[in-house]
Amino acid sequence: MPLELYYFLSITAVNILLSWAMYLPYRVAHLHFITVANMAISGYSAGWLVMTLHVPFGWALLVGFALGGGIGYLVSLFIGDAPTFAVVIVGFTFIFITRTVIENLNAVGGTMGMFGLPDIGGNPDAHRWIIMAILAGLLLLVGFLLHRFDHSRLGRAASAVFVDKDLAASLGVDIRRLGMLLQTVSCTIAGGTGVLYGFIYRSLHVDFFTFELVGIAMTIVFVGGYATPWGTVVLAPILYGVPLLLPPAVQEWRIVLYGAALVLVLVLKPEGFITRRFVVSLESFLSVSRKKRNSFTREET
Amino acid sequence: MQEFIAQVINGLSLGSIYVLLVTGFNLLLLVAMIIHFAYPQVVVFSMYVTWLVLQMTGNNLPLGIAAGIASSVIINLLSAPLFQKVMSNRRDVDINSSMVLSMGIGMIITDILSHSFNEGLPVAFPDSLSSIVPLVRFGLISVQVGQVWSLGIGIIAVSAIFLILYRTRPGRAFRAIAEDPSGARLVGIPILRTGLYSYGLSGILGGLIAVLLAMLLGSASPGLGEQVAHKVLAVSIIAGLGNLVGGLVVGLLLGILEAIVQGYISGSWSNAIAFVVMLVVILARPKGLFGSKL
Repeated sequence: MPLELYYFLSITAVNILLSWAMYLPYRVAHLHFITVANMAISGYSAGWLVMTLHVPFGWALLVGFALGGGIGYLVSLFIGDAPTFAVVIVGFTFIFITRTVIENLNAVGGTMGMFGLPDIGGNPDAHRWIIMAILAGLLLLVGFLLHRFDHSRLGRAASAVFVDKDLAASLGVDIRRLGMLLQTVSCTIAGGTGVLYGFIYRSLHVDFFTFELVGIAMTIVFVGGYATPWGTVVLAPILYGVPLLLPPAVQEWRIVLYGAALVLVLVLKPEGFITRRFVVSLESFLSVSRKKRNSFTREET
Repeated sequence: MQEFIAQVINGLSLGSIYVLLVTGFNLLLLVAMIIHFAYPQVVVFSMYVTWLVLQMTGNNLPLGIAAGIASSVIINLLSAPLFQKVMSNRRDVDINSSMVLSMGIGMIITDILSHSFNEGLPVAFPDSLSSIVPLVRFGLISVQVGQVWSLGIGIIAVSAIFLILYRTRPGRAFRAIAEDPSGARLVGIPILRTGLYSYGLSGILGGLIAVLLAMLLGSASPGLGEQVAHKVLAVSIIAGLGNLVGGLVVGLLLGILEAIVQGYISGSWSNAIAFVVMLVVILARPKGLFGSKL
């Protein structure tokens, strides 16, 4: 697989997974930026396990998921039903503390970073295919779970909490437990994504996990459409890919472009490009055409 | 003991800047009903404008300070229609979307600063502004001119804000909107115009803070806004969102805590400890110590 294509596809997949990890708690109006800190913690832990203790990659990946989920659960015990701004600041604080700890830990390379993570399949090409296969599998799994969540009672409960917490509580929704569940799942996804992020580049550096990454994920979620998980899938490749086609002088300003896109969409199209109404009408259209096709096939037989 | 007193003095001057920042932030929150997360980034942008004007005019201080204040007011007033549009889109007060919008504005400002000014490198202010000259020295205790200015102007500015809020007609309008926007509209208070006043006032405050920060730190970098933004929101939450008096107390306490930790613990750990303390308080009391005014 060509290197450029590999990086484009794998980083797009990471952006989608990170954005989904942010989308999920936002269903109850929580901007959960701790996901980026969890990516760093899990990524570095997995890297350390593989490099120092020679733990197989598969186990290290599982530890990454578990670590992310564990931290997410512990934090959610305190902020499961906290106001959005408190959740935001907890996330930012976590990012800052995580970065400081990593910078001061020689075991994980400190400010120099962690380099030379091993090839998973024994050679670079196998490594790329394995990473791509894992990312594709993860995208399918998380996408399927999100789709099921959106069409479940839990999804409807989350929508109720987003619109009006008091109303949702009076309807019997346990806001705290729902918030805890979404935050924990979100952090689990982020943990595994962090491990894969490190192994894509076969290196880790604190500058991979900055507030800029938060901004990119936020732009993908809000410009794509925060009410469905599918806007993320459409926007992630566009937002990451389009700047790559621009001249290098313009590419340097991509964060300004992302910020401008975020501001414009919030002002002009607050629900983002892929709205819930659009997804529902697309689903009903597909279901009608499927029914028509089935009845047509029956008539023919 | 001398070192401790010296750090408390450092902390008070730093804390006074946090207090000013939180006051400007809370003013926008209470009156315009927005969480202007990028307010500190606007302040850092004004610092850069001050630096640029000083460079261009051969360190003309009055002009540099005026340019810093003007830029802060202009950015605040220019962003006002964006915030108003986002609020009207939701047909109700939705401070969360204003926070996301503000983060977008913050991304733009930070990236512009890291590309356009001084090739993205930190900028250093001239000695005539940065005022790191010791005014009083007693053993380890040294009080610098910049510290005295920031503390003095901090006290005057916060007093002026409180005076405006509690002794003037626009101030009463500010408080009425903060208490009950619908009620304020019913009694004929012009919500939009009063909201714009709050953008202007917090802009003036932002410009002043930019000058004080330049005096106290002597330099600025593109990433400064993010770190300060983070602390301001944390102080605001710990105090209780919109609680002006709480913001005053917590802002000063954070400044002192940071300075004391920096005095006794070396390296980047000192900042992290301040963040850990903030994190613990927020996790324990996500709705604030002094109660939210929202």
